[in-house]
Amino acid sequence: MAWYSEGPVTRLAGVAGRTLDDVMRVRRGWKWNAPRPRTWPEQGMVVPAPPSDLGWARVEPVRSIRYLIQRLLLMPFTEAMVHPKVEGREWVRELKRPAIFAANHSSHADTSLILYSLTDAVRDRTVVAAAADYWFKHPILGNIVSLFLNTFPFSRTGGAQGQLHSSSQLLKSGWNLVLFPEGSRSPDGRIQEFKPGVGFLAKETGTPVVPLHIQGAFQVMPRHQNLPVPGPVRVRIGKPMTLDANEGTREFTARVEKAVRALASEPKQPDLQGTWIERWRASKPRQLKYGD
Amino acid sequence: MPRPGAVIEVDRNTPPVLFHFGEGIRLEKMPLGARIVYPPDPLEPIGHPERAIKRALAKPLEDDPLKSLLRRGMKLTIAFDDLSLPLPPMAAPDVRQLVMEEVIDMAAEAGIDDLHIIAALGLHRRMTEDELRHIVGDRIFSTFHPERLYQHDGEDPENNVYVGKTAQGEEVTLNRRAAESDLVIYVNLTLVPMDGGHKSMSTGLASYRGIRAHHNVKTLLGSRSYMNPPDSALHHSCIRQGQLIEDTVRVFHIETTVNNHAFPAIANFMQKRETDWTAQDQAIFLATKQMTDLAPPAFKRNVFHAMRAPYGLTAVNAGQVDAVHDKTLDAVNRQIAVRVEGQTDIVTIGVPYLGPYNVNAAMNPVLVLCMGAGYLFNFYRNKPVLRKGGVLILTHPCRYEFDAVQHPSYIDFYDEVLADTKDPAEIEKKYELRFAEDPWFRQLYRKSHAYHGAHPFYALYWAAHAMDHAGDIIIVGGDRDVVHHLGLKCATTLEDAFEMAEQTVGRYPSITHLRTPPIMLCEVE
Repeated sequence: MAWYSEGPVTRLAGVAGRTLDDVMRVRRGWKWNAPRPRTWPEQGMVVPAPPSDLGWARVEPVRSIRYLIQRLLLMPFTEAMVHPKVEGREWVRELKRPAIFAANHSSHADTSLILYSLTDAVRDRTVVAAAADYWFKHPILGNIVSLFLNTFPFSRTGGAQGQLHSSSQLLKSGWNLVLFPEGSRSPDGRIQEFKPGVGFLAKETGTPVVPLHIQGAFQVMPRHQNLPVPGPVRVRIGKPMTLDANEGTREFTARVEKAVRALASEPKQPDLQGTWIERWRASKPRQLKYGD
Repeated sequence: MPRPGAVIEVDRNTPPVLFHFGEGIRLEKMPLGARIVYPPDPLEPIGHPERAIKRALAKPLEDDPLKSLLRRGMKLTIAFDDLSLPLPPMAAPDVRQLVMEEVIDMAAEAGIDDLHIIAALGLHRRMTEDELRHIVGDRIFSTFHPERLYQHDGEDPENNVYVGKTAQGEEVTLNRRAAESDLVIYVNLTLVPMDGGHKSMSTGLASYRGIRAHHNVKTLLGSRSYMNPPDSALHHSCIRQGQLIEDTVRVFHIETTVNNHAFPAIANFMQKRETDWTAQDQAIFLATKQMTDLAPPAFKRNVFHAMRAPYGLTAVNAGQVDAVHDKTLDAVNRQIAVRVEGQTDIVTIGVPYLGPYNVNAAMNPVLVLCMGAGYLFNFYRNKPVLRKGGVLILTHPCRYEFDAVQHPSYIDFYDEVLADTKDPAEIEKKYELRFAEDPWFRQLYRKSHAYHGAHPFYALYWAAHAMDHAGDIIIVGGDRDVVHHLGLKCATTLEDAFEMAEQTVGRYPSITHLRTPPIMLCEVE
């Protein structure tokens, strides 16, 4: 056997040579500039790739990287800018099962504020529905936003069933979902009519809906403003709501919308936020159980 | 086993002793033969505070178990001490939080819907949300604030009621919510013997009308000292008022005491006796000293006020107020009492950066006087460590420095009242009512974070006994103009102060240094 036949350099050179061969073969095999031969069948419709649900953003190590980004950048920045006052955090401290967070939407700051209002454990298991036609128009922007906020594309224009299906898949696989049922940011800060998707999702997956109201985000960063300005913000979280036995999705959506609107009013809403006894019990620290 | 307090006599081998100097520290060599009084070491804290609290609530002193007092549909109010206690503020969780969480658990179990929690701050300033949250904890704060967790307002005409007059003619007022409750649970933290007992309700939930009955020159001059309730006219008055309150509303008292572990690990050298200092303590002292010498006052203040004390719970008692308070005083005295033989000509005390009335604020000159000649001088039982006509030497930079948010009335008091006279009785007669009824000070007390208009007067009255008792009060290192404005004398160094004192007490005076904080109570024989 020759002296050069077993060395690593020789093997590496072999691999490189074979790769080069493959590349050259492919390059020469297709002649893109040549006219299409008549003997070939007609060119068919282009088969679209299935829409990406950005699954990479929900696996390790991306989750750990996002945790660090949120704890070291996003949360301190939110705190410094608006010092959010969060009411009703006890309802989302330790969720026993996935939930849909349905909030009013008046600003790009809303998502950060909702994530700020959640505990670390819940935030880590929360995805945000982001408008596919806005955030994912440019794939790089969409991926960066996903890395920061754990967003996934949610269609506002077409294929609603498909997108709702992917949302329900996420809920069923244990993720909480932040949804803005108004569909887009309010042009004037007032709450717009809710779209029925939230009710549909709640019914299909049997998931409770947590109504949230964000006050002051419109003043911090309204539509058509690119940078936030400091200002007071209050995030009020209501008691989780579930679909009644005979309730339709539209009726349930209307009930959620009514709850969000009620949370906007100044005095506390015991019906929606719970009596002090309910809130006190909901905030009871978890009893640590150690193994024998 | 923690060591009891100690009195050592200075010899050639005695190390220099630490003097607190406002937001700074100094090491001073005491003259040969002088005495240094050290507080006892911190007592061993209770290992499982939650269990001790549960036990106290289940087996109260001379009262029924708390659970049996709670019933659905009742009107329940929990009141608790404000941030003037303990000092420095306690590292989380505060014992008041632990107690209140147990009580609220019981109330929730009983299904009591009408529950309010009131910070009993008397005429002290309103706390900020962060300060309030620190005392009660996140869980209580987020569940109850602001509708059901709020602060007493002694100037709210709608929400204070007149309860009546004691046999001695002292008027008694009470927070309306407390007065109309079926049960008031008072959660107290007693750091020094002055706190707790009937004084909690009769000052914490009262208005100016009720508090002026005992916060006056005559009563405070008759309190020898107000750190020893049996000899304190202030406490006798509070007891009379408290008994009237107990006739009006059912009160269940819960009192807690903590040890005197006042400094965190980084400042442990302040906790230790100098004879116990290690090389590490010396290094940390040097670093701290350089920092406090060089850093601007605002920076030092932020560093010092950020300190949280690792206090440990030493006792918790619940039930009828007198029975509970007797036990509480025993626990407090066990921690802070030091036996001292005889009085001396000169007493030296380092005034620290913090007193009950300047949490998160500068200690203004009136408060320096209140802290040094009021509180620290009065930590005695039987008789003062300083003989009548002796010289009290305090160390503090005593600058013209006021917190405009917390102490607006102090500024006018210093500039206008002290410029006119230093006599507490005359000041009380001539100025107190005007300040107390000033609409602007009243507004700042109610809506901002300011002490009541009458509060600087009380700060001066606390010091009235020491000013009457001492031949001279000298402040070492103070701003000369400011110290003279207070009616005191000023010295540049401790040696100068001893020299000046000799003119009052004669040559070769006996000297005692009270090495405090940590807090101690001198039992003078």
